[in-house]
Amino acid sequence: MSRVLPATGSQDLSAVVADRHVIVCTGPGGVGKTTAAASLALGAAARGRRTIVLTIDPARRLAQSLGLGRLDNRPRPVAGVDGLDAMMLDMKRTFDEVIDRHASDAARAQRIKTNRFYRQMSSSLAGTQEYMAMEKLYDLHSTGGYDCIVIDTPPTRNALDFLDAPRRLTDFLEGRFLKMFLAPGMVAGKLATRAAGFGAGLFMRAASRITGQAVLGDLAEFFQSFEGMYEGFKDRAQAVYHLLQQPTSAFVVVASAEDPALREARFFLQRLESDGMPTAGLVVNRVTPPPSAGLAAVTPRAARAAANTLDGGGPESRAAAALLRLYVDRVEVAERERRAIAAALHGVDPRALVQVPLMATDVVDLPGLTAIGRHLYG
Amino acid sequence: METSALLDPRLLIVTGKGGVGKSSVAAAVALAAARTGRRTCLVEVEGRSTFSRLFDTQAWDFDEREFRPDLWGMSIDPEASLREYLELFYGARRLSRLVANSTAVEFATTAAPGIKDVLLMGKVKELERRRDPDGRFSYDLVVLDAPPTGRIVNFLRAPDATTQLVNVGPIRQQAQSLIDMLSDPRRTNLILVTLLEEMPVTETLDSAAALRELGVTIGPVLINRVLTERSDKAASKALAELSVADLRGLLGTAGLAVDDDAAAELLDAGAASTKRLGLQRRLRTQLRKQLRSTTLELPYVYSRRFAADEVGVLAGLIQEAVEG
Repeated sequence: MSRVLPATGSQDLSAVVADRHVIVCTGPGGVGKTTAAASLALGAAARGRRTIVLTIDPARRLAQSLGLGRLDNRPRPVAGVDGLDAMMLDMKRTFDEVIDRHASDAARAQRIKTNRFYRQMSSSLAGTQEYMAMEKLYDLHSTGGYDCIVIDTPPTRNALDFLDAPRRLTDFLEGRFLKMFLAPGMVAGKLATRAAGFGAGLFMRAASRITGQAVLGDLAEFFQSFEGMYEGFKDRAQAVYHLLQQPTSAFVVVASAEDPALREARFFLQRLESDGMPTAGLVVNRVTPPPSAGLAAVTPRAARAAANTLDGGGPESRAAAALLRLYVDRVEVAERERRAIAAALHGVDPRALVQVPLMATDVVDLPGLTAIGRHLYG
Repeated sequence: METSALLDPRLLIVTGKGGVGKSSVAAAVALAAARTGRRTCLVEVEGRSTFSRLFDTQAWDFDEREFRPDLWGMSIDPEASLREYLELFYGARRLSRLVANSTAVEFATTAAPGIKDVLLMGKVKELERRRDPDGRFSYDLVVLDAPPTGRIVNFLRAPDATTQLVNVGPIRQQAQSLIDMLSDPRRTNLILVTLLEEMPVTETLDSAAALRELGVTIGPVLINRVLTERSDKAASKALAELSVADLRGLLGTAGLAVDDDAAAELLDAGAASTKRLGLQRRLRTQLRKQLRSTTLELPYVYSRRFAADEVGVLAGLIQEAVEG
């Protein structure tokens, strides 16, 4: 069986948990990203580093095991683990903090926060969650006093949306389209007639026919109140991007051993490479372990034939037959997973490849995280 | 609702936690429907080219194409939906071109809350309502591979949120007609896909409650990748007591010579499997007790290849369950 990993690669992330300042776990949804992030954080804390794990939307029982009973945007110490804090991102609250920081005065901040478009946008605008995760990360980096910050990114559909999120939001907020709204004197009720320029006028007339004018009025007010804040947004986005590019940061891509997840992981790795981000490893969760060399000498065909023979016997023989059939299944699955991993890594270098075997029980508590940790960093 | 009624509605919205194989199951459901003679349209909305890979076809786009007998496929993107919508309702090609070329499209399709989802669903409704010249529906069934459970409630709530934000005009009417489609149990069923594992089961139960509150009818729950029991009761009992020496002896009688380490490895794998099967039984009981829907179990497919093999096998089993 050929090895998947390039000869220079490593098989664990012990160097990463030992000295990186920021560890970003990224990957498609449902592959155990939060579990990996929490487990890496345990590893960093175990090395005496003051650590925080920032999670986006952990499964309930995992959150409980980290002591995150409620979503309040504050670091909480994890009971039973020295030097480890955990917090859950509250998007709305983080966005409010951003507005408070960048708005010129409290009245303007208040106006934005009560606008109904802001209220919708702060929870549902594409990219907001990613942006807020990065905001919080930067916040913890500059004021938290942590040696190690582990962050679990939202399960975004598109590879690494969160890298684009700050740029996208600012592009959007200062885009050409907005200029139409920002023309002086544009207030609710007068949009259709006062909009500047032919194109905008035509568009605004059509838009108000479709949505009604009150909506556009709200929208105009919303964007007007953002005026003057764009520079602050952009500077911050730049700073976050820069922080992530540092060699003290590390990106860990997480996938399961299924083909669709591995394909997405491949896109992630390629994108990190092209953005010059410090990739630190690929973690493949729930891998079916291939049989050891001694057992592998038994071919699936021989195992099936023997199982058929044993089926005719008593309970003990039938039990042996069942073990052989399990073995055949395992060989097939291990082989397809091996090929899927090899295909995902063709021509891309993950630096480290860690395969975490499928556990006999689901990982929902600290002992489970510790067991995963043994594979991640020894 | 009976499992046999799985394919009876006009629209099936398939969702599930990330990683449970939602898209494979949606593909299998659509393939099964087509095999029963229903003219079926399989729709993807997240542009991941999942289906073109699963079915080994060219890339999918906004044009519906028949890629298997009675099975059409398309990929809905919000920009194309917006363009089609504007042309349909305003007949204004010039306007739609202007809009399509401005950042307004980006606003409407990526930023304006919920508008994107309303546009996507608007296209789904068009497929669901479309009639041939002879008056019958063009499609007997539309299968939508919807966003995962983490986002499904917001996705389905979008029309309602829109009516709250926009109280006049065609967008409001459009949103209202979507609410009508989604809340009619004869037209729309929601299909939850899950695994018999802790987190997917918890998320499925939570989602089912939230979705019922939304007024959507939940159809049979499809349980994916169910591990097969490999031994009968008496054999399972014997398995728990089997020693390395016993196993070597038994395998020897069947002509298979293995050493102690290999026999121990087989026993370990057997013990892990017994544990997994126990967990599976416990979660199955929990799911059945707390979920007020029937379930249909689909086995873990032990093939050497992903994709087409798996979809074909699952489709056969779904067809069997529906036709009895």
